[in-house]
Amino acid sequence: MRAVCKIGSGHLWLVCAALAMSPPCLGAQAPGAEGGQPPEAAPAEAPEASSGLLPKLTFGFEGRANIRHSDDNRFPVKFPFTPDMLPPGQTHAFLETVDAGTHFEVSKLSLSVDAEWSPGLMAHGRLDFLDLYDRNPTSTGKNVDVKEAWVRFGRETAEGTLPEHGGVYLKIGKFNKFERQNDRHLESYGVVSTAFNRFNDAGLELGIDLGRHLYLKGTATAGNPVFLRDPNALAGDNGTPAFLQPFPNPALKSGIVILYDTEVEDISTSRDPQVGAGLGLRFADAAGKNALDILAFGYKRKLADGVEHSGSFYLGDLQILRGPFDKAPLPFHGDEKRDAGANLWLYLGGFSLFGQYVDQKLAGLPRTGIEGEAAWSFDLPLVWAVGGRQLFPTIAPAVRYSKIDNQFKSNPLSPAPSFAWDWTKIDAGIRLGIVAGLDLTVEYAKNDFILGSGATAHNNEYLGTLRWKI
Amino acid sequence: MRVRGPRAAGSSCGRVFCVGAGLAPARVGTSPTPTLKRGPSRDRGAQSAPYILLLLLALTIPVHAEEIRGRIELLTRGGGGPARGSDVRQAVVYFEPAAPVRAKTEATAAAHAEPYRLVSRQKEFWPRVLAVPRGSRVQFANDDPILHNVFSVSGANVFDMGFFKKGPGKERTFESPGLVRVYCNVHQSMVAYVLVLDTPYFTAPAADGSFVLAGLPKTAGKVTVWHEQTEPWTAAVQLPLSGAAPLLARIEVTRPQIPPHLDKTGKSYFTPGRDRYGH
Repeated sequence: MRAVCKIGSGHLWLVCAALAMSPPCLGAQAPGAEGGQPPEAAPAEAPEASSGLLPKLTFGFEGRANIRHSDDNRFPVKFPFTPDMLPPGQTHAFLETVDAGTHFEVSKLSLSVDAEWSPGLMAHGRLDFLDLYDRNPTSTGKNVDVKEAWVRFGRETAEGTLPEHGGVYLKIGKFNKFERQNDRHLESYGVVSTAFNRFNDAGLELGIDLGRHLYLKGTATAGNPVFLRDPNALAGDNGTPAFLQPFPNPALKSGIVILYDTEVEDISTSRDPQVGAGLGLRFADAAGKNALDILAFGYKRKLADGVEHSGSFYLGDLQILRGPFDKAPLPFHGDEKRDAGANLWLYLGGFSLFGQYVDQKLAGLPRTGIEGEAAWSFDLPLVWAVGGRQLFPTIAPAVRYSKIDNQFKSNPLSPAPSFAWDWTKIDAGIRLGIVAGLDLTVEYAKNDFILGSGATAHNNEYLGTLRWKI
Repeated sequence: MRVRGPRAAGSSCGRVFCVGAGLAPARVGTSPTPTLKRGPSRDRGAQSAPYILLLLLALTIPVHAEEIRGRIELLTRGGGGPARGSDVRQAVVYFEPAAPVRAKTEATAAAHAEPYRLVSRQKEFWPRVLAVPRGSRVQFANDDPILHNVFSVSGANVFDMGFFKKGPGKERTFESPGLVRVYCNVHQSMVAYVLVLDTPYFTAPAADGSFVLAGLPKTAGKVTVWHEQTEPWTAAVQLPLSGAAPLLARIEVTRPQIPPHLDKTGKSYFTPGRDRYGH
């Protein structure tokens, strides 16, 4: 459901899109096999033309409330913190669950706007408030964030869909990475997507459709700084101002952290840009029900010595690899960061499968990741309705497997030995459509990681998410 | 009974003149329509006076003299066996005289004081197949407590009823003969077919595939079996028929139950969720 405003010829009118833009049970679709018949041709709706220089504006809102239950785990680290750098009475530090126990939290309020002058020229902006699960550090990161802000010239084709013909687009601003999975069926992220492409980048993106099936992507961006966070819902608090006080004892703990590509906060001209490229091939039936999209991609950039990050005195990129006071560096060399990977999107009616493989060299530190998510969306029978809309129109169970294999060893003194732990995360849950625009997702995240000793440990979490989109 | 229409059932005056079971079905537009073998006629007077028959039809004077009996078998692709899961009752059998019977068709449509009804119920259209004579009114009602849409982009019968809540819904008169594929812009699986016919002679088969087209004029014409999952099957006939075997239409199922289709704007029902920006 979206509210659409059209500004033109000195008048402003609001078109309630409850019916026109968002059908009452959007997304309800019955699984079922179809043959290769061509779809009945429907005349494309004439695009609502903007008036001169004034665009058609479309506003959106999204809010999320969560119930979270996190296991309580902690793992000692050997970094020689001085006593005044540790909580009172503690003799050494721990990697700890960020916020153990059961908690209710409103994690996100988001406003978005699309401005469309024509199908070939549009702009998009999204402002996130709270953004609790994407903040890093959790308590002092930015809680008002321009998540997306871009202008696009030309038409962009979504994954698993076929354009009518070839074309080119250029996108400028802050946007999500082209290899990212955009239709996740769970609230949580896999450990691979968190590590490599969860957060938006800023710069230029060029897309070329070479006909209907073959496509190219190219980017020149700031590059997401390498930082640390827990892969569960909350990132954790690391390097917050509280730690500058003697005997700090913050409410939120460090988390069991991994290295990941964090939020881009600025476009710094002092850093070398990241360049990326992708080559994809897609197939879909004419009705768009069944589709296959495969994409190979790669990125390369030079790591900065240090990148500032809101709310933390830790610096990203090479400084994170060096450890506090340069005393516990990982065995890295050089400053080049290279990612290469491949994606697969498969849609078969209500079934969807996403897979991703990434091979990274992070200043010579090799690691690979593999992730796959399968989901089934089922149309539920009509039993109840409210306001002309079906109550409980769909249900979608989903399961995700993700694994990071770190092929390097941590420094024995590292305050974050988990950087080098091999990690497997299995997320399983179910998303229930309550009514159009409102759904509930209940899921469980099972984290298994192999400690330096070879033992397997866990840091699991239950998460319930009520999501409201208008 | 899913198909509504004039059914001069129970006529016993017409003789059964049928074709042999080995007659190959004709695909419309792809192969010549076979002409039925005619047996000895017992009413040569009527055969020799087609123009009189046409005149009678034009004057809407019913000539309920002949009937065609037959049976439909839906087969798997390749004809290997019965197509399980395909409902033969959803077929429509109709006879089109060689000469137009427009006046009678319109008279049949007009005879329906109440419009035909096609109802949205439990996120399905009921009936799924509705055969009507040209000029008929069809009421698209909504029995569900949720909003539904009804639209079609078929040929000359393009329409969009918009969204409407539970109630009598909206009505449309179908003036153009042809197949009207009816969809809901909300629920992709909702599919119905309105078969607007330029003839008043049509019926639906029973569960065993048998059918009787009765009250037919004594004239040459064409029998068509339409089913949503098959190509149309046709056979040319000359009434009264000769022979005793019922017409046998053995037809391969080649189409899915839910035909591939786009929404009313020409976009896929399935792709919005894949778009990273939701548009």
